[in-house]
Amino acid sequence: MLRRHPWIIPASFLILPLLVYFTFVILPTLNSLYYSFTDWVGYGTDFNFVGTANFEKIFTDRLFSNAIKNTIIWLGLAMTVPTLLGLSFALALQGKSRINTAYKSLFYMPICLSPVIIGIIWVWLYSPKLGIVNIFLRSIGLDHIATAWLANPNTALYAVFVAWAWQQTGLNMVIFLAGLTSVPTPLVEAAKVDGANTWQTLSKVIIPMLRPATVVVLALTAISALKSFEIIWVMTMGGPFNKSDTLAVFMYSESFRKFKMGYGSSAAVVLFLVTLVIIVLYFRFAAAAEELYE
Amino acid sequence: MMNRRLILAVLVLLVAAFTVTPALSQDDLMGDFTVSHYFGGFGGEFIDGIVDDFIAANPGLMHAASPVDHEQFKTSILVQLAGGSPPDTFSYWAGARIQFIVDDGLLQPIDDIWEANDMDSQFPQAVIDTAATYDMHRYAVPLTLHWVGMFYNTALFEEVGAMVPTTWDELVGVAEKFKMAGIPAFALGSINRWPGQFWFDMILLRTAGNDYRNQLMSGEASYTDPEVVRAFGLWKELVDAGYFYPDANAYDWDEAANQVANGEAAMTLMGTWIGGLYAGNDLVPGEDFDYFSFPTIDEDTPRASLGPIDTFVVSADAANPDAAKAFLVYLTNPDVQWAFAEGAGNLAPSLLVDTMNYNDVVARIAGEIAADPVFAFNYDLATPPPVAEVGLNSFSEFMANPGDYEAMLDRVQADAAAEFAGME
Amino acid sequence: MSSRAQPHPPDPLSVPPLSGGGSPIKREGELIARVNWSKLLGNAVRYFLLTIFLILFMVPVYGAIVTAFKSQAEVAAGGYWTLPTNLAAENFERVMDPEDGNLGLYLGNSLLLTIPASIFSIALGTLAGYALGKYRFRFDGLLFIFIVAGMFLPPQIALIPVFRLMNDIGLYDTLWAVIIIHTAFGIPICTLVMRNFFQVVPNALREAALIDGANEYSIFLRIMLPLTLPALAVLATLQFTWIWNDFLWPFILTQKADSRTIMVGILNLTGQYTVDWGGQAAASLIGSLPTLFIFVFFQRYFIRGLTLGAVKG
Repeated sequence: MLRRHPWIIPASFLILPLLVYFTFVILPTLNSLYYSFTDWVGYGTDFNFVGTANFEKIFTDRLFSNAIKNTIIWLGLAMTVPTLLGLSFALALQGKSRINTAYKSLFYMPICLSPVIIGIIWVWLYSPKLGIVNIFLRSIGLDHIATAWLANPNTALYAVFVAWAWQQTGLNMVIFLAGLTSVPTPLVEAAKVDGANTWQTLSKVIIPMLRPATVVVLALTAISALKSFEIIWVMTMGGPFNKSDTLAVFMYSESFRKFKMGYGSSAAVVLFLVTLVIIVLYFRFAAAAEELYE
Repeated sequence: MMNRRLILAVLVLLVAAFTVTPALSQDDLMGDFTVSHYFGGFGGEFIDGIVDDFIAANPGLMHAASPVDHEQFKTSILVQLAGGSPPDTFSYWAGARIQFIVDDGLLQPIDDIWEANDMDSQFPQAVIDTAATYDMHRYAVPLTLHWVGMFYNTALFEEVGAMVPTTWDELVGVAEKFKMAGIPAFALGSINRWPGQFWFDMILLRTAGNDYRNQLMSGEASYTDPEVVRAFGLWKELVDAGYFYPDANAYDWDEAANQVANGEAAMTLMGTWIGGLYAGNDLVPGEDFDYFSFPTIDEDTPRASLGPIDTFVVSADAANPDAAKAFLVYLTNPDVQWAFAEGAGNLAPSLLVDTMNYNDVVARIAGEIAADPVFAFNYDLATPPPVAEVGLNSFSEFMANPGDYEAMLDRVQADAAAEFAGME
Repeated sequence: MSSRAQPHPPDPLSVPPLSGGGSPIKREGELIARVNWSKLLGNAVRYFLLTIFLILFMVPVYGAIVTAFKSQAEVAAGGYWTLPTNLAAENFERVMDPEDGNLGLYLGNSLLLTIPASIFSIALGTLAGYALGKYRFRFDGLLFIFIVAGMFLPPQIALIPVFRLMNDIGLYDTLWAVIIIHTAFGIPICTLVMRNFFQVVPNALREAALIDGANEYSIFLRIMLPLTLPALAVLATLQFTWIWNDFLWPFILTQKADSRTIMVGILNLTGQYTVDWGGQAAASLIGSLPTLFIFVFFQRYFIRGLTLGAVKG
């Protein structure tokens, strides 16, 4: 345990980072909070304080509830699909061999790409005539499934999600792999000696030991899912007709396409509050997870 | 490609010609000068060339280029206006979009240069009234005048023996002919939503007419009115019959234009800028492609032309308003107006441009506009931007789910009414 | 935290076992010891499934590479996934051409932005991380949470206020605006990683130096800073990648071509030439090269960075 220090020395280290952080992160955020109580259109100084009117309005806004619905779908998929895939890859690739290393590298390579570029590439994949997805489906006789994935209101959100998951899976795999190193070998071997089969070892020993990694994966995924904006914007701009609008996209369109900065800011506040809940849950569970090791 | 090179060469010559024109340079223009515009492709190259030339003629000015693509411009200009750091001058769409920012005091009137240069005599009165004048003041110098019509593949029309339709029934007949031949009649690329609006605009103009449409655009009429329901109903006939190239919302307008050029679809309802695109692909106007005016639906509804007018405006917060205004005066030069029109495929708004220069297609379009008593702005320039967002989404939704459009119109009306109320 | 259940000391930099890092589970030895058919079959099935997934995962990358070398006519005719008939560099030339795509300028701008922003954010994060990792003072825990919370802020919230701020201090439309904002938004993650790092640096080092009469600042500079090199490398790869790939901030904070970054340039290109897949693919490859380079050569640092902040949160 460290002893308490006079505040002056740590303060001298903290002053510069705090100043920059406060001025360029906290202050603008508070500023937005203020705008969310106004009817500011985005420019000029001519706006009124409208109290909680934006918040009252937003909860009756059809497009807002549409965005909430899509965000929940997005979040639900994000917490499951890339998590399970990442876990499967991690379990399948945990051994140290050349081929495993190569597979791992290729699976997490998408992490280093920009969402802008991922969006551009996946737009071609989904192109109705020339895109590989439909070419493939037609080549195996599934013509009736082939559709304009990003233009079809029933598929747009899911199609964008697949592109997003393509990047996220590798990250989750990496975190699970890191978590697997803290599963003590003797424990696994003891289970095997006791006659446990692979599945039993997995479900009774390894998965429970991966709990901290799972908490991390779920929390990170949730937060990055809520923040994900660029890839949706590049691929569909929330379209067709708002079918792939999430909270982040809704906020951006209201502010910058409909010129309702105050209203958009109130959506931002809602988004932040949702994120905050997840952060709190995360710190809760992360603490609980650490206690497991005590 | 060749063609584009040629145009560029012509431009270079024109630019060279301008630089020796003494009237263009003003000795007292100094400092930084910023221009922002949404033109891509030919238009972008052209404006950049014009700016370079303007700078060359005014050595006291410094300029930094900033090309932005069309869709992104809609955001970036707002952000700059919001931050109080707009470019000195920028391109903007005449109509409700300019009105919207004039209402917020973001532009400065240009009555002084308008009068000093007698621009009243340079532009048609209708253009001055609708595109340049807001709240009794002149604000914008028109650079283009585009017109929306049906552009078609002439070879394909010959192949199936289709005649240019002049009535709705004939249009349906032609579309049916193409359907029998296995070719979708209409290409529509509405991934960025706006191309869909032309169908609504044209059908509404040909049925309910311009006066009713104006009421709808200003919030005095309702999207649940029989007029609007009927327009969507007619549009739905065409969609239901399978005349449209599938998956309109998956393509951009230029992809739809290429579907027509490649013979994958017969025609597309689009603005004259399609001529600029086709010129870049070496298509000959009048031979490879041609146009017809959107057919009459109700005989007794007065005809109307539709299209956007691109203008340049001066920011209220312009750091260098003198340079901005000098630039706007520069844009009225008939040679500039003509050179832009030639490359982009539009009509030059200036009366001083010799109409004999136009190619056959554009010359005939000029005749259409002159013959129609009304020139209307397309939907997203006719109704305020927040409402336009609602409508544009509904056109995309309609193309995907034409079936329940009446329920959709109820929602559109509710949302549009809320947006109109919010702007009070 | 006790380390009874942990095979490693709680040094955050020892977390991942990737790419040749020592794995505690000795599978190969095990395999040789008791080969059995069901195990072999299991492995065959496992690698078969993995390979199918890998192929699916690599389709977009493969598509981008082959498309970059094709003319538009070839894309339209042959589709997206055939091999190019002749390797044409034409797409690359076009997007790099100053009269056309102008990506050369934007690449340079991105470097001019990404390198200083990475350095500044890491420097500030190191200062804050040191204070929070090595000193105890009133409200240190709260302060830590206050800073780390910034990691979770959706950046769009602050878009307009940041724009106005930059404009007011005269930095709008300069790379400095983007550098500052990435520095500020990078402080949370950098502080988190450095604080976790400093926490596990043995205190004895510091105390010995104090007894020798060194002052706090020279301890930081002479003793602690040299120790942080591995953590700095981790953060450098991470920050470089994130800042390089970001689109939103440079799009909002810069306007003229002279201060435009690569991602904004690429997206502009796609807006202007929708049907030019070859050009878009070439631009995407060019724009990904620097981060791919980091990925290939500094992979271990990069991956550690990704897991670090997270696992030890």
